[in-house]
Amino acid sequence: MKVRITEYLDIDLAAEKWCCHSCGVELADASLNYKHGCLVAEVEMAKAHPPLTDSGFSFTPDPDFCRLLEFYCPACGTTLENEYLPPGHPVTHEIELDIPALKARHGVL
Amino acid sequence: MKAPATFRYGRDYEIVQRLRPEPMTERELNAQSLIEGLDFEIFQHKAGMVALEGKETTMRLGASTAMRWGDVAFGIYTARGDLAVCATGIYHHAVLSQLPVKYIVKHWRDDPSVGLAEGDSFFFNDPFYGGVHNADMGLVIPVFSEGEPVCFIGAAVHTGECGGSEPGGMVNGAKSRYDEGLLVPPIKIGANFLLKEDILAMLSNMTRDPRTMMLDIKARLAACRIAERRVKEIIAEKGSDFYVGALRKILQMTGEAARKKVARINDGVYRQPRFMDTTGPDDALLKINLTVIKKGDKIKLCFDGSSPAIPDRPINSYFQGILGLAMVYFCGWFCHDLPANNGLLEAVEWEFPEDSFVNAKGDMPVSYAPATQVAFAQGMFMCGARMIYALEPARAVGSWYSGFAVTPFGGFNQWGEPVADITPEINATGAGARPDMDGVDAAGAFFATMSDCGDVESMEADRPFVYLFRNFFNNSYGHGKFRGGSGVGYGVMVHGVPWLAIGGMGFGTRFPSTLGLFGGRASPPVFVQCVHGSDMKSLLATGSAGLPHNMGDLYQDAPLESGQRTLGHVSSPPQLYGEGDTLYVPIMGGAGYGDVLERDPERVMADLKRNMVTPWAAEHVYKVACDRDCRRFDPEKTRALRNEARGERKRAGKPYAEFMVEWSKLRPSPETLRYYGAYPDPAGRDAASAAGGVAS
Repeated sequence: MKVRITEYLDIDLAAEKWCCHSCGVELADASLNYKHGCLVAEVEMAKAHPPLTDSGFSFTPDPDFCRLLEFYCPACGTTLENEYLPPGHPVTHEIELDIPALKARHGVL
Repeated sequence: MKAPATFRYGRDYEIVQRLRPEPMTERELNAQSLIEGLDFEIFQHKAGMVALEGKETTMRLGASTAMRWGDVAFGIYTARGDLAVCATGIYHHAVLSQLPVKYIVKHWRDDPSVGLAEGDSFFFNDPFYGGVHNADMGLVIPVFSEGEPVCFIGAAVHTGECGGSEPGGMVNGAKSRYDEGLLVPPIKIGANFLLKEDILAMLSNMTRDPRTMMLDIKARLAACRIAERRVKEIIAEKGSDFYVGALRKILQMTGEAARKKVARINDGVYRQPRFMDTTGPDDALLKINLTVIKKGDKIKLCFDGSSPAIPDRPINSYFQGILGLAMVYFCGWFCHDLPANNGLLEAVEWEFPEDSFVNAKGDMPVSYAPATQVAFAQGMFMCGARMIYALEPARAVGSWYSGFAVTPFGGFNQWGEPVADITPEINATGAGARPDMDGVDAAGAFFATMSDCGDVESMEADRPFVYLFRNFFNNSYGHGKFRGGSGVGYGVMVHGVPWLAIGGMGFGTRFPSTLGLFGGRASPPVFVQCVHGSDMKSLLATGSAGLPHNMGDLYQDAPLESGQRTLGHVSSPPQLYGEGDTLYVPIMGGAGYGDVLERDPERVMADLKRNMVTPWAAEHVYKVACDRDCRRFDPEKTRALRNEARGERKRAGKPYAEFMVEWSKLRPSPETLRYYGAYPDPAGRDAASAAGGVAS
């Protein structure tokens, strides 16, 4: 039994795995950060937020402050999530569910 | 730094802890048996309408920008100070505006030199009790029945000027709270239904804009007196015991309902670090490390691992202000169907580190606290979206723009009157995208959802500005399967006065303030352009063609306007602008939702036709192919481009562990980190702690 957690993520309760909602592929153990099962890329800022001036003030984030990481489903290439982080900052474990409680809620023992 | 005072004239650190409802009084308890279902329903409706009338009256009578355009909270408080009924979109006041009332009950009710009597009125603006910043001011009156106080009625509103060392209510260069203007704990400013003229003279003498100050005070009071009349009509019909008990029942019911709603959320830990890029005067990185622990029927907000306090910068916030902004999420979104009152806090717990800029102490300045608070609030929305999607996907919304980009100003207006305030475009930001639709364009302010930005003509009538343009900005929002609502860009020229001081308050020039959801992109960073010695006036006089008509135009072509052009951080100290000088400010749009490659190409084409998306973004972000001249959509080529883009992701993306090898070697420059604390975890623990306490 799969339960929907976000726009692009399910949890397979029996297998205790994060899965891509778009294609169903298993990503990582549900007790871990699902991002461990993703492909990760740093997106060039100018391709996401193009500069409109030649100055340091340009509608583009300052690379000394901010980088853009995207997390892709390794099977279908959907962007499951992104993070704007300072360079080198650890990736966030943003959803850490109580899996036994989740299984109990859905009657999966 | 001053330690917490231990004598009666110091700040009261005990009262600010009393954010949850006070214990039920014996009178309230005994009255519960009087309250039947239908009567209670009718009472709730009537009390809500009394509050709504109070809010509308305050808006109609007030003078400050914020009051006129709806930055108003009007409430009915119990006799012990809890806010039971509130009409507002400024939901932080649902828990903050009660603190001054509790202060009055604790300190003045039984004090022989002050006391509490029918016809009294009290004023306050110390942010320690209001929790936001000095520009937020309030007025409250007690209501009596049969000689006993049965409730308080009050109005809390942002009055745009409070006499700080810089005009407009927010002091970029504040080194301590003594730079930030009025610091009035709750004081009696009226008795026997008369305002004390000596107190009014003092207050008006301590701000740059005495006319607005006085009109705003009197607007609050007039609205309170009308509401007092209505309350007495209810009491005359139902009795004071019923009234007292019913107010209490609203609070109790709210708390119980909030806990039930929270219990439906999946248990777990939800995290969203928030990064800010300014201390006020400095470009520097700061972190709010938000962790939301949901267990059973409680949500706990934790901030361990946030950047340390900065004793001489205005970016600090009192902890109670942070909790106030949490209510923007709880009242406006998660518990949108419950009354907005501090009963909601029965479902919320909190834990703040001692040394953190989200837990200001002593004499630290807090003028820019609203920026820190909205930065946190957006983290609350992002955690909230992840908590709520499994239950109610439609309520898992992207964040509205939250970088402020507000423009304080001060000087004299074109009629020779002193004026100091903020511009109203902060109330025209774009809403976040949703699971089923784009964000609303120029929707408002997420923390002031019943406000709007008013008309250009109204601003020009008594502010020394001529608007050059104010309309949608097609590079203002986050892209996604559903895009954020567009924000607005505006340009103004100083007009009719020899000079005006203008500054800026906000964040998100170096690091975007408004992040996307589920793969949606952030709203772009913002910056401000000013042109001193501008020839705009003569260009307008000669009807020059080619002047910019929107923010996109401004940066698309070589400028016609000449003068000394400066681009700068959205947060800046005030500087003098001469007549004819110009200022251009983008107030950005909402966050994007979902993968950009899933956006319906027809939506992109519709946006192109309305100039709501740039041709660059249509081609390079959304991978939509169309004929450049006639803009005919090419579905086959679009499909191919999108397939190619997905393939490129799989080629360019690295497995997580492999990617982290190189990524973890990076770090910002020491200059950028000088206020951050240890990097990456300001608390100095290992990198896993910075990620969320789980080994990666």
